[in-house]
Amino acid sequence: MTNTTTKSIAYPPGGILIWIIIYLELITFGMAMVALAYYGMQERALFHHDSQLLNKEIATINTIFLITGGFFAAKAVHCFKAKNIDRSARMLLWAMLAGVGFLLLKMFEYYGKLEAGLSMDYSSFYMNYWLLTGFHWIHVFVGVIILFFIRRSIVHKKELATIEDIEAGVAFWHMCDLIWLLLFPILYLLF
Amino acid sequence: MKLTSTYIVLFVCTIFIALISGLALSKPIIATIVVVSVIKFLLVGFQFMELKIAHNFWKYIFVIYSVVIGAIFFLLL
Repeated sequence: MTNTTTKSIAYPPGGILIWIIIYLELITFGMAMVALAYYGMQERALFHHDSQLLNKEIATINTIFLITGGFFAAKAVHCFKAKNIDRSARMLLWAMLAGVGFLLLKMFEYYGKLEAGLSMDYSSFYMNYWLLTGFHWIHVFVGVIILFFIRRSIVHKKELATIEDIEAGVAFWHMCDLIWLLLFPILYLLF
Repeated sequence: MKLTSTYIVLFVCTIFIALISGLALSKPIIATIVVVSVIKFLLVGFQFMELKIAHNFWKYIFVIYSVVIGAIFFLLL
Protein backbone atom coordinates (compact mmCIF):
# COMPACT_ATOMS: atom_id res chain seq x y z
CA MET A 1 0.00 0.00 0.00
CA THR A 2 1.50 3.33 -0.99
CA ASN A 3 1.73 6.30 1.27
CA THR A 4 -0.77 8.17 -0.91
CA THR A 5 -3.49 5.57 -0.50
CA THR A 6 -2.85 5.13 3.23
CA LYS A 7 -3.23 8.85 3.87
CA SER A 8 -6.38 9.10 1.75
CA ILE A 9 -9.62 9.45 3.70
CA ALA A 10 -11.09 6.56 1.70
CA TYR A 11 -8.25 4.14 2.55
CA PRO A 12 -7.69 3.76 6.29
CA PRO A 13 -5.60 0.63 7.14
CA GLY A 14 -7.82 -2.34 6.25
CA GLY A 15 -10.18 -0.28 4.07
CA ILE A 16 -13.11 2.02 4.66
CA LEU A 17 -15.76 -0.71 5.06
CA ILE A 18 -14.13 -2.39 8.05
CA TRP A 19 -13.68 1.01 9.71
CA ILE A 20 -17.36 1.83 9.23
CA ILE A 21 -18.17 -1.51 10.90
CA ILE A 22 -15.66 -0.79 13.69
CA TYR A 23 -17.19 2.61 14.46
CA LEU A 24 -20.75 1.24 14.33
CA GLU A 25 -19.77 -1.50 16.78
CA LEU A 26 -17.96 0.94 19.05
CA ILE A 27 -20.99 3.25 19.08
CA THR A 28 -23.39 0.36 19.78
CA PHE A 29 -21.31 -1.09 22.62
CA GLY A 30 -20.52 2.43 23.80
CA MET A 31 -24.22 3.30 24.17
CA ALA A 32 -24.85 0.08 26.11
CA MET A 33 -21.91 0.83 28.42
CA VAL A 34 -23.11 4.39 28.98
CA ALA A 35 -26.55 2.97 29.88
CA LEU A 36 -24.84 0.59 32.33
CA ALA A 37 -22.93 3.49 33.91
CA TYR A 38 -26.15 5.53 34.11
CA TYR A 39 -28.08 2.76 35.88
CA GLY A 40 -25.04 2.17 38.07
CA MET A 41 -25.14 5.80 39.15
CA GLN A 42 -28.79 5.38 40.20
CA GLU A 43 -28.29 2.08 42.05
CA ARG A 44 -24.71 2.46 43.19
CA ALA A 45 -24.83 0.16 46.23
CA LEU A 46 -26.56 -2.63 44.32
CA PHE A 47 -24.15 -2.40 41.36
CA HIS A 48 -21.19 -2.33 43.74
CA HIS A 49 -22.41 -5.49 45.47
CA ASP A 50 -23.06 -7.31 42.18
CA SER A 51 -19.76 -6.22 40.67
CA GLN A 52 -17.86 -7.59 43.67
CA LEU A 53 -19.24 -11.05 42.82
CA LEU A 54 -17.34 -10.99 39.52
CA ASN A 55 -13.88 -12.51 39.29
CA LYS A 56 -11.39 -9.68 38.63
CA GLU A 57 -8.44 -12.06 38.31
CA ILE A 58 -10.08 -14.00 35.46
CA ALA A 59 -11.01 -10.75 33.72
CA THR A 60 -7.44 -9.45 34.06
CA ILE A 61 -6.02 -12.67 32.57
CA ASN A 62 -8.60 -12.40 29.77
CA THR A 63 -7.47 -8.84 29.08
CA ILE A 64 -3.88 -10.11 28.84
CA PHE A 65 -5.07 -12.82 26.41
CA LEU A 66 -6.70 -10.23 24.17
CA ILE A 67 -3.84 -7.72 24.12
CA THR A 68 -1.42 -10.61 23.50
CA GLY A 69 -3.60 -11.73 20.58
CA GLY A 70 -3.68 -8.15 19.32
CA PHE A 71 0.10 -7.92 19.52
CA PHE A 72 0.58 -11.11 17.48
CA ALA A 73 -2.05 -10.03 14.95
CA ALA A 74 -0.29 -6.67 14.47
CA LYS A 75 3.02 -8.53 14.11
CA ALA A 76 1.43 -10.75 11.46
CA VAL A 77 0.55 -7.69 9.36
CA HIS A 78 4.10 -6.33 9.68
CA CYS A 79 5.61 -9.69 8.69
CA PHE A 80 3.28 -9.98 5.70
CA LYS A 81 4.30 -6.51 4.53
CA ALA A 82 7.94 -7.58 4.87
CA LYS A 83 7.08 -10.62 2.67
CA ASN A 84 7.87 -12.97 5.56
CA ILE A 85 4.83 -15.16 4.96
CA ASP A 86 5.82 -18.09 7.18
CA ARG A 87 6.39 -15.83 10.19
CA SER A 88 3.15 -14.00 9.45
CA ALA A 89 1.26 -17.31 9.48
CA ARG A 90 2.95 -18.25 12.75
CA MET A 91 1.97 -14.93 14.33
CA LEU A 92 -1.65 -15.43 13.25
CA LEU A 93 -1.61 -18.87 14.86
CA TRP A 94 -0.46 -17.36 18.16
CA ALA A 95 -3.14 -14.67 17.89
CA MET A 96 -5.77 -17.38 17.35
CA LEU A 97 -4.50 -19.34 20.35
CA ALA A 98 -4.76 -16.23 22.53
CA GLY A 99 -8.33 -15.78 21.27
CA VAL A 100 -9.22 -19.39 22.04
CA GLY A 101 -7.69 -18.93 25.50
CA PHE A 102 -9.98 -15.94 26.04
CA LEU A 103 -13.05 -17.85 24.87
CA LEU A 104 -12.37 -20.88 27.08
CA LEU A 105 -11.58 -18.82 30.17
CA LYS A 106 -14.72 -16.76 29.62
CA MET A 107 -16.78 -19.96 29.38
CA PHE A 108 -15.23 -21.10 32.65
CA GLU A 109 -16.25 -17.76 34.19
CA TYR A 110 -19.79 -18.11 32.78
CA TYR A 111 -20.05 -21.62 34.24
CA GLY A 112 -19.08 -20.32 37.68
CA LYS A 113 -21.63 -17.51 37.48
CA LEU A 114 -24.43 -19.86 36.44
CA GLU A 115 -23.49 -22.30 39.21
CA ALA A 116 -23.73 -19.44 41.71
CA GLY A 117 -27.18 -18.49 40.38
CA LEU A 118 -25.95 -15.21 38.87
CA SER A 119 -27.99 -15.46 35.70
CA MET A 120 -29.60 -12.67 33.68
CA ASP A 121 -32.60 -12.60 36.02
CA TYR A 122 -30.47 -12.00 39.11
CA SER A 123 -30.26 -8.20 38.75
CA SER A 124 -30.04 -5.40 36.20
CA PHE A 125 -26.24 -5.43 36.58
CA TYR A 126 -26.12 -9.11 35.59
CA MET A 127 -28.54 -8.57 32.72
CA ASN A 128 -26.07 -6.00 31.36
CA TYR A 129 -23.12 -8.26 32.19
CA TRP A 130 -24.53 -11.22 30.23
CA LEU A 131 -25.64 -9.15 27.25
CA LEU A 132 -22.43 -7.12 26.91
CA THR A 133 -19.95 -9.94 27.54
CA GLY A 134 -22.08 -12.43 25.59
CA PHE A 135 -22.15 -10.27 22.45
CA HIS A 136 -18.46 -9.59 22.90
CA TRP A 137 -17.76 -13.34 23.22
CA ILE A 138 -19.52 -13.89 19.89
CA HIS A 139 -17.36 -11.17 18.30
CA VAL A 140 -14.16 -12.82 19.59
CA PHE A 141 -15.40 -16.19 18.29
CA VAL A 142 -16.02 -14.66 14.85
CA GLY A 143 -12.61 -12.94 15.08
CA VAL A 144 -10.86 -16.29 15.66
CA ILE A 145 -12.67 -17.76 12.62
CA ILE A 146 -11.61 -14.77 10.49
CA LEU A 147 -7.97 -15.17 11.62
CA PHE A 148 -8.22 -18.89 10.77
CA PHE A 149 -9.33 -18.14 7.20
CA ILE A 150 -6.76 -15.37 6.75
CA ARG A 151 -4.03 -17.74 7.88
CA ARG A 152 -5.31 -20.44 5.57
CA SER A 153 -5.30 -18.04 2.63
CA ILE A 154 -1.74 -16.84 3.20
CA VAL A 155 -0.45 -20.39 3.71
CA HIS A 156 -2.30 -22.14 0.86
CA LYS A 157 -3.09 -19.35 -1.62
CA LYS A 158 -0.14 -17.02 -1.22
CA GLU A 159 -0.57 -15.45 -4.64
CA LEU A 160 -4.20 -14.47 -3.91
CA ALA A 161 -3.68 -13.05 -0.41
CA THR A 162 -3.57 -9.24 -0.34
CA ILE A 163 -2.44 -6.93 2.41
CA GLU A 164 -5.85 -5.19 2.37
CA ASP A 165 -7.63 -8.47 3.20
CA ILE A 166 -5.22 -9.26 6.00
CA GLU A 167 -5.40 -5.75 7.44
CA ALA A 168 -9.22 -5.84 7.33
CA GLY A 169 -9.42 -9.19 9.12
CA VAL A 170 -6.87 -8.16 11.72
CA ALA A 171 -8.69 -4.83 12.21
CA PHE A 172 -11.82 -6.83 13.14
CA TRP A 173 -9.72 -8.70 15.68
CA HIS A 174 -8.42 -5.45 17.15
CA MET A 175 -12.00 -4.18 17.39
CA CYS A 176 -12.67 -7.03 19.86
CA ASP A 177 -9.66 -5.73 21.85
CA LEU A 178 -11.02 -2.19 21.81
CA ILE A 179 -14.46 -3.19 23.05
CA TRP A 180 -12.98 -5.31 25.83
CA LEU A 181 -10.62 -2.51 26.92
CA LEU A 182 -13.77 -0.51 27.77
CA LEU A 183 -15.87 -3.42 29.06
CA PHE A 184 -13.16 -4.55 31.48
CA PRO A 185 -13.10 -1.37 33.62
CA ILE A 186 -16.83 -0.64 33.44
CA LEU A 187 -17.93 -4.13 34.49
CA TYR A 188 -15.11 -5.32 36.74
CA LEU A 189 -13.29 -2.31 38.16
CA LEU A 190 -15.40 0.83 38.43
CA PHE A 191 -18.35 -0.16 40.62
CA MET B 1 10.19 -2.82 18.30
CA LYS B 2 7.39 -0.28 18.67
CA LEU B 3 4.82 -3.07 18.77
CA THR B 4 6.73 -4.82 21.54
CA SER B 5 7.03 -1.67 23.65
CA THR B 6 3.32 -0.95 23.06
CA TYR B 7 2.50 -4.47 24.23
CA ILE B 8 4.60 -4.04 27.37
CA VAL B 9 2.87 -0.72 28.17
CA LEU B 10 -0.56 -2.34 27.65
CA PHE B 11 0.41 -5.26 29.87
CA VAL B 12 1.71 -3.03 32.68
CA CYS B 13 -1.33 -0.70 32.46
CA THR B 14 -3.70 -3.69 32.71
CA ILE B 15 -2.02 -4.99 35.85
CA PHE B 16 -1.84 -1.46 37.29
CA ILE B 17 -5.58 -0.70 36.94
CA ALA B 18 -6.51 -4.18 38.20
CA LEU B 19 -4.40 -3.57 41.32
CA ILE B 20 -5.58 -0.02 42.09
CA SER B 21 -9.22 -1.03 41.65
CA GLY B 22 -8.73 -3.04 44.85
CA LEU B 23 -8.32 0.21 46.78
CA ALA B 24 -11.36 2.07 48.09
CA LEU B 25 -13.00 3.57 44.97
CA SER B 26 -12.71 7.35 45.21
CA LYS B 27 -12.95 9.93 42.41
CA PRO B 28 -9.14 10.07 41.88
CA ILE B 29 -8.97 6.25 41.61
CA ILE B 30 -11.90 6.20 39.17
CA ALA B 31 -10.24 8.97 37.14
CA THR B 32 -6.95 7.02 37.04
CA ILE B 33 -8.67 3.81 35.89
CA VAL B 34 -10.63 5.69 33.21
CA VAL B 35 -7.60 7.65 31.94
CA VAL B 36 -5.36 4.55 31.80
CA SER B 37 -8.14 2.62 30.01
CA VAL B 38 -8.48 5.41 27.43
CA ILE B 39 -4.68 5.44 26.93
CA LYS B 40 -4.78 1.66 26.33
CA PHE B 41 -7.64 2.14 23.86
CA LEU B 42 -5.65 4.80 21.97
CA LEU B 43 -2.48 2.68 21.95
CA VAL B 44 -4.29 -0.28 20.36
CA GLY B 45 -5.88 2.03 17.76
CA PHE B 46 -2.80 4.01 16.84
CA GLN B 47 -0.07 1.35 17.14
CA PHE B 48 -1.72 -2.05 16.56
CA MET B 49 -4.35 -0.86 14.07
CA GLU B 50 -1.93 1.63 12.50
CA LEU B 51 -4.24 4.60 12.73
CA LYS B 52 -1.05 6.64 13.01
CA ILE B 53 -0.63 6.31 9.23
CA ALA B 54 -4.31 6.94 8.43
CA HIS B 55 -5.95 10.18 7.30
CA ASN B 56 -6.53 12.72 10.08
CA PHE B 57 -10.30 12.21 9.81
CA TRP B 58 -10.02 8.64 11.14
CA LYS B 59 -7.61 9.72 13.88
CA TYR B 60 -9.86 12.55 15.05
CA ILE B 61 -13.04 10.50 15.34
CA PHE B 62 -11.14 7.78 17.17
CA VAL B 63 -9.68 10.24 19.67
CA ILE B 64 -13.03 12.07 20.06
CA TYR B 65 -14.85 8.77 20.70
CA SER B 66 -12.37 7.65 23.36
CA VAL B 67 -12.33 11.01 25.13
CA VAL B 68 -16.14 11.31 25.10
CA ILE B 69 -16.73 7.79 26.43
CA GLY B 70 -14.02 8.23 29.07
CA ALA B 71 -15.55 11.54 30.18
CA ILE B 72 -19.05 10.00 30.37
CA PHE B 73 -17.75 7.10 32.49
CA PHE B 74 -16.01 9.50 34.82
CA LEU B 75 -18.99 11.83 35.16
CA LEU B 76 -21.51 9.05 35.76
CA LEU B 77 -19.44 6.98 38.20
